[in-house]
Amino acid sequence: MNINCEKFGNRVGLLRWVGAPITAFNAAVVRNAGLFHLCCSPVLIFGLLLADPFTASAAESSAPSVSDSRDISLEDLVNIKVTSVAKKETTLEDSPAAVTVVTQDDIRRFGITTLPEALRLVPGMDVARINSHEWAVSARGFNSEFANKMLVLIDGRSVYTTGFGGVIWGMEDVVMEDLDRIEVIRGPGGTLWGANAVNGVINIITKSAKDTQGGLISTSFGTEDQPSTVARYGGQLATNLYYRVYVKYFNRDGLVESTGADAPDPWSGTQGGMRLDWEPSEQNKLTLQGDYYSHRANENQSIPSLAPPFAQTSDVVNHDSGGNLLGRWTHDFSEHSSLSVQTYYDHFHPEQIGVKYTSDTFDFDAQHRFALGSRNDVVWGAGYRYISDKLDPSFYLSFNPPDQREQLFSSFVQDEVTLVPDRFKLTAGSKFEHNDFTGFEIQPSARLLWTPAEPHTLWASVSRAVRTPSISEMDERVNFQVIPPAGAAPPVLVSSFGNPDLESEELLAYELGYRVEPTKRCSLDLAGFYNEYARLIAGVPGAPQFDPGPPPHLVVPTINENAGRAQSYGLELSGRWDVTDWWHLAGSWSWFEVHSPVGGIPWGASPEQQFQLRSSMNLPGHLEFNSALFYVDQIQAPYGTGQIAIPSYVRLDVGVVWHPLKSLELGVWGQNLLDNRHPEFTSYKTPLITEVPRGVMAKITWRF
Amino acid sequence: MGRLAATLGLLLAVGQGICGEASFTEYQVKALFLFNFAKYVEWPAEAFASTTSPIVIGVVGDNKFGDQLKKAVDGKSIGGRPLLFRQIEKDDEMAGCHIVFVSASETKRLPDILERLKAKPVLTVSEIERFVEQGGVIGFVKRQDRIRLEIDLDAAQRARLQLSSKLLSVADTVRGKR
Repeated sequence: MNINCEKFGNRVGLLRWVGAPITAFNAAVVRNAGLFHLCCSPVLIFGLLLADPFTASAAESSAPSVSDSRDISLEDLVNIKVTSVAKKETTLEDSPAAVTVVTQDDIRRFGITTLPEALRLVPGMDVARINSHEWAVSARGFNSEFANKMLVLIDGRSVYTTGFGGVIWGMEDVVMEDLDRIEVIRGPGGTLWGANAVNGVINIITKSAKDTQGGLISTSFGTEDQPSTVARYGGQLATNLYYRVYVKYFNRDGLVESTGADAPDPWSGTQGGMRLDWEPSEQNKLTLQGDYYSHRANENQSIPSLAPPFAQTSDVVNHDSGGNLLGRWTHDFSEHSSLSVQTYYDHFHPEQIGVKYTSDTFDFDAQHRFALGSRNDVVWGAGYRYISDKLDPSFYLSFNPPDQREQLFSSFVQDEVTLVPDRFKLTAGSKFEHNDFTGFEIQPSARLLWTPAEPHTLWASVSRAVRTPSISEMDERVNFQVIPPAGAAPPVLVSSFGNPDLESEELLAYELGYRVEPTKRCSLDLAGFYNEYARLIAGVPGAPQFDPGPPPHLVVPTINENAGRAQSYGLELSGRWDVTDWWHLAGSWSWFEVHSPVGGIPWGASPEQQFQLRSSMNLPGHLEFNSALFYVDQIQAPYGTGQIAIPSYVRLDVGVVWHPLKSLELGVWGQNLLDNRHPEFTSYKTPLITEVPRGVMAKITWRF
Repeated sequence: MGRLAATLGLLLAVGQGICGEASFTEYQVKALFLFNFAKYVEWPAEAFASTTSPIVIGVVGDNKFGDQLKKAVDGKSIGGRPLLFRQIEKDDEMAGCHIVFVSASETKRLPDILERLKAKPVLTVSEIERFVEQGGVIGFVKRQDRIRLEIDLDAAQRARLQLSSKLLSVADTVRGKR
């Protein structure tokens, strides 16, 4: 039998850290056959999940028998893909959470070149592009340029910035071709992942050095990229010791203004890094990886001043840079028990609105997983983080004190209990943290998984999560705007002041989910949630005060307080359908509403509805035809001290990928085809709104 | 539970039938290879007491096969010789085998084991890293989730074994003089 059953397969794991098969909510290792499957077999996508062994005993009853297979020829034996039941594996359908995985195949097919653009594929994620190098990314509401309710990790390293209180997406980059997957868990991840995983966790995982052997050169160019190149080489230093090194250069054009003219935001940068993976024995895995990058981001900024003309608008160049070094060791005691230890150092230096900010983080984490009896799978861990922040202030932004230090101690424990085998599984646990600002925080969570009958899975959860206030909310003064003097009145300075006595924001989340696979060729995933937020941090207007200066001016302050409460609820529906063996469809729809009883303080800007439909076709002649349609509802985006309406938009991307040789891949994509241009969000730095234009991109990838 | 297993089994059978790609475990595939080696290797006459003496496949070290190797050889004969599986408890039992599979658990003892089997008509097979470089005949190597073969003809010659060209043709690497 020589049918070429090529699966664009990907092992997917809800892993707390890369490569460490440690139970997250569940160690959900999914045999997700990506988007594609050339074989006509019913063993597809989630069908393959069903076929996979859930437990060791199921492995024997469901795997084929050797006695019946003795006729298999040698040629076929060398081509059989083997499953590994060395680690406890459960499928995505066993996961009591709203999980979506973006695979390497998705990224390749749709010509995705940046991390935030990859997140557009996830239902319920709000991804809005602000300019060439800035995005507003969040899930389940509260989207803003410094959306602060999601935890984002790259290979286990947190990229959340305490100084700005969010993720600066333009500074986080990986070699997209070496990305293994991006796991997005919507909903509170506080129990395992700690504070700030309030609305979800984004886990970006790169491939191990072993899986990226050989050379890769990829160049992309088009109306926006001009050109950008990645070169990577992976090799083997010794038995079980693999490495890779890479260097990446990109140069992206600015987006456009509403008139169609080029916006002043071109962006370029260089990044390089390495990774070493060593498996000295079957039980031990070690990883060492590091990156360094330096970017130039052009942008328009408007800085207020107390002297005429009271606002200085200029085009500036910001030099952002950063580097990191991470080491991890995983040791398997047995099939059910393992230990993982990780440590990293991260140096982060962005420049914005005349301000230079440096953050140094040192983190140490350990995690132990073991089985207790036959029905309990326990994970527990402890961690320490030290953050040192420095800010070179400008009139716009300053810290008080300008140098900050923060220590964070945390520990967690979680037990996954099989109440009724193959029917009920309960995952319960809590994270305990102590940080320098708010003291002790406890984040418990309970999740129940119910499998009433074969193709159906239901899950429910209740969780408490907290978000600790960031340095920017506690110790930062921002001088937003100066209203020029009128007549005899002095100029008015609109400022926001930090508050060192802030408490953590709190979330109580109730979630429900349902998964079904009516046939082998299609599946549906529905998740619903109701979130109650308390002590949300917002600027509360204070009494204006006269400041003699010089020059004399009136200060109209807002002070950060735990002022807000809000309720939000929504639905996220996603589905996949293999129409034929060579044509695959995936789509999602989400709906979101937020209500705030405290005087209409806008809690970020998220669209009420979003929809997407993606089609992937494998055509004869090693061709692929991939298209994606996105609809995003209108939003009220923050603008100055008020808001501005950003209309809804429809985006169509179409791409053709060709593999003339096994080592060569050529792709051409038309992006945002239905529109000349459309805005997606606003920037706090400038009244200029940059819009996403229609564009064309081509990419050549050569592997050797 | 039984119904679940049956449904899974049915799905797999159907899947297998159309696609031909089944989800075997690693040790099932290795067991099938060992069964095939008995077919495609010729031992010198002095390796057997009589024309109907069994071909003995021994496993030294941790038995990761479970019962799969036993099932792979049960009831089968090759060239009139029945196949027998033996779990080796003591090292001196190795000489009585025709194929010896050295488990990864014996990595440290490998030089001793190979020394013992030097010049004996025994096909040495293992999954230990760099097995053929250390003197073994056939090494199992896992590449991209598939089990591949590395063969050393010099080691085969020292053991006076004849390996069929069919076996050599599917191997990833064949070292030594043909």
